[in-house]
Amino acid sequence: MTHQYNRRHALKLLAAGLTALALPKAAVLAASTATVKKPIPASGEPLPVIGLGTWRTFNVGSDPQLLAERARVVDAFFQHGGGLIDSSPMYGSAPDVIGYALKRLGKPDTLFSAEKVWSPAGGTTREQVGELARRWGVETFDLVQIHNLTDWREHLAALRELKAAGKIRYIGITTSHGRRHAEFEQVMASEEIDFAQLTYNITHREAERRLLPLARERGIAVIANRPYDGGNLIKGLKRRGKQVPQWAVEECGCKTWADFLLKFIVSHPAVHCAIPATTRVEHLNENMRAGHSPMPSAVCRERMARTIETL
Amino acid sequence: MSDWSSYRLQDLIPFTQEVYLRLLQRVSEDTWPLQIALLVLGLAAFALALAHRNRLALIFLAPAWICSGLVFHLQHYAELNWAAPYLGLAFLAQGVILSLLGLTGVGIDRQKSFGNLPALIGLSSVLIGVVAYPLIAPLAGFSWMQAESFGVHADPTALTTLGFCLVVLRRTALWLASIIPLSGALLSGLTLLALALPWASALLGMLGVILTALVWKTVASARGVSDGS
Repeated sequence: MTHQYNRRHALKLLAAGLTALALPKAAVLAASTATVKKPIPASGEPLPVIGLGTWRTFNVGSDPQLLAERARVVDAFFQHGGGLIDSSPMYGSAPDVIGYALKRLGKPDTLFSAEKVWSPAGGTTREQVGELARRWGVETFDLVQIHNLTDWREHLAALRELKAAGKIRYIGITTSHGRRHAEFEQVMASEEIDFAQLTYNITHREAERRLLPLARERGIAVIANRPYDGGNLIKGLKRRGKQVPQWAVEECGCKTWADFLLKFIVSHPAVHCAIPATTRVEHLNENMRAGHSPMPSAVCRERMARTIETL
Repeated sequence: MSDWSSYRLQDLIPFTQEVYLRLLQRVSEDTWPLQIALLVLGLAAFALALAHRNRLALIFLAPAWICSGLVFHLQHYAELNWAAPYLGLAFLAQGVILSLLGLTGVGIDRQKSFGNLPALIGLSSVLIGVVAYPLIAPLAGFSWMQAESFGVHADPTALTTLGFCLVVLRRTALWLASIIPLSGALLSGLTLLALALPWASALLGMLGVILTALVWKTVASARGVSDGS
């Protein structure tokens, strides 16, 4: 099974190399219809900028109707060339539901499986990862993150051993809602990690001050959670019934508010992937289209932020 | 503390409104037509309380808690919420508590009048829990299969039992038998609130009234009035 893992890993790296060879760096971000991908600093492997979150939305238990609906969402995600699916043992049955979908749909090469370990560590890191792999129906995870920095020292030591043994490919840490940023920064600055997942969206930009610059400096890939602030942002904008400003349509292809909010996030140079969660295929389609170029410039991003502030 | 203060109620509920409504529906589908039998059981317990057969009324309630604990919490809700297995065990314990109080007669209220406020609130809560609660979801525009019924779903079971407690128990036994339904229904009310379900306020409001009545009865009991002591 390790053989399968190595082959898949090698294919991804080969794809990354070919992409880098075929296109200049700027062109990777300028392709017109395909999902924009950004290279993971630790490996150069390209990662589609729009992923799939599962908090609340994928916790459906054994309900056959909802299982089928979530499988359709995952199917649409892969049809769009989606990569990163993020879950956690704290998300109830979400890891089982992903496992159900992957069993039904198969595991495309684009899948980038991201899970988390959480408290209490107590020497259980390997067991937690093994149990989650069983629930997903995968042999290995691409990324395992330490949920909310819980017991991070113990988890990190164990995850490094798993990475060295080829059981996982990348290690990360997570936080959300702007919590524990000082400790998060300390871990980013002092430990060898590949990914940092944090809350970043157009109304929660605290990470821009220290964490995102630090991520670039340290070569850490960033996953932005809560891109719609738990759904409030996109629902609020849709409820107002206002159209996306014409300049945003023309300058960065924002046809919908989903485009507007997600493009703002993933166009930040330090952010590699945003992980909106949804239960509906039409919303998934909207989210995935936001990953297409063009992306807003720095000037355009500031204009976007000011627009939201004035609403 | 600063970490916890940054959480909103919605951040603590790990599923969506759609999933919760499906949960209610699946529980109903899996138990139908048991709801009819439990409705009859609830009304029979109500009649027993009116006839001052308080011990028997409590014993009649016990199966409802066992059933709801097993079917709602342990069999279904546990798939979605890590707290549900604990709630399920608490529901089973509540069934035991009600049975023991009924069998031993400890803490039974001997007063014959229903003319005091706690008793009136109690009788109203019983009728709301058994008869009116199943109508809430359909009246709010949801399907009949999403209706919550006494003895199957947690909230009407808790409301009904709190009503009985106000009528048939006193002092320590009153609180002993009320703490689990009160805590369970409060957690549930907050969950409904986070999920923006329209009957959340009604449930929490009723709990507020019932809690006031519990305190009222306790104070009156301590003063030796209106509780038959």
